[in-house]
Amino acid sequence: MTTHQTDMTDIASAKVTGYGLSYAITSILSALLVVLKESNESILQLMVSLTGHHWVTHGLLSVLLFVVLGAILSRRNIGVSGNTLIASVVGSTIVSGLIIAGFFIV
Amino acid sequence: MSKEMILMLHPTFGVLAMIAAVWVFVEALNANDGNIFRLRQVSVLAAVLLWLAYIVGGYWYVVYYGGDKALIKAGPWPFAHGFVMETKEHLFLTLLLLGTFLPIAAYGDVVRKKVTRKLVLWTSALVVLMGLAMEGAGAIVGMGVKVALLTKLV
Repeated sequence: MTTHQTDMTDIASAKVTGYGLSYAITSILSALLVVLKESNESILQLMVSLTGHHWVTHGLLSVLLFVVLGAILSRRNIGVSGNTLIASVVGSTIVSGLIIAGFFIV
Repeated sequence: MSKEMILMLHPTFGVLAMIAAVWVFVEALNANDGNIFRLRQVSVLAAVLLWLAYIVGGYWYVVYYGGDKALIKAGPWPFAHGFVMETKEHLFLTLLLLGTFLPIAAYGDVVRKKVTRKLVLWTSALVVLMGLAMEGAGAIVGMGVKVALLTKLV
């Protein structure tokens, strides 16, 4: 095993931070879009008209937002600590799951 | 290829993606210069497998699921669509993004930055947990179809 020194600074690289935050934001917005489209027929129909199926449109929008937001945030020097980044990734996963499951269970 | 084969490919790719994510998790526990190449390659593999599961499952869902949906809704387990499938199909998008983020995090300085290693551990663990939830949800949807068909027989 090669020896190495551990960097204890609590900040991930700009790219990891940018795309991590992008994931956190996109997952929450994607969950909110579920609530919006399922509650509003005109938005649902608009999404259907774009690709033929609302779910396909939803997927494309989510991926596009993740990539674009990630590219933008990666270029900025965001002073987010590593633990905050991890909490954002884990927290947004839990919250988006609760929003989606909570919406369909009621 | 039959539609049944297409349907079976979806959970198959999903399980393989979970195995790859477990592999990433284990490699990340002891990330060093000797295993970082493998860790990164497997993280890419996990993402590719998740995308394959998404494309194959998505194709089946858009093209063929309508018939099953009608059966489930008319059967004794309507919640298998109304709650389980609706949640599954939308939460899968979150899993897809998380799986896409995994190799991005893995290509960070996992060996020397403790925080990046922790992020890879959390991300791969979440991919596994969400993958298990997807597999379980798929089983419930399948059972929803089965009980609906059985009700028609008796």
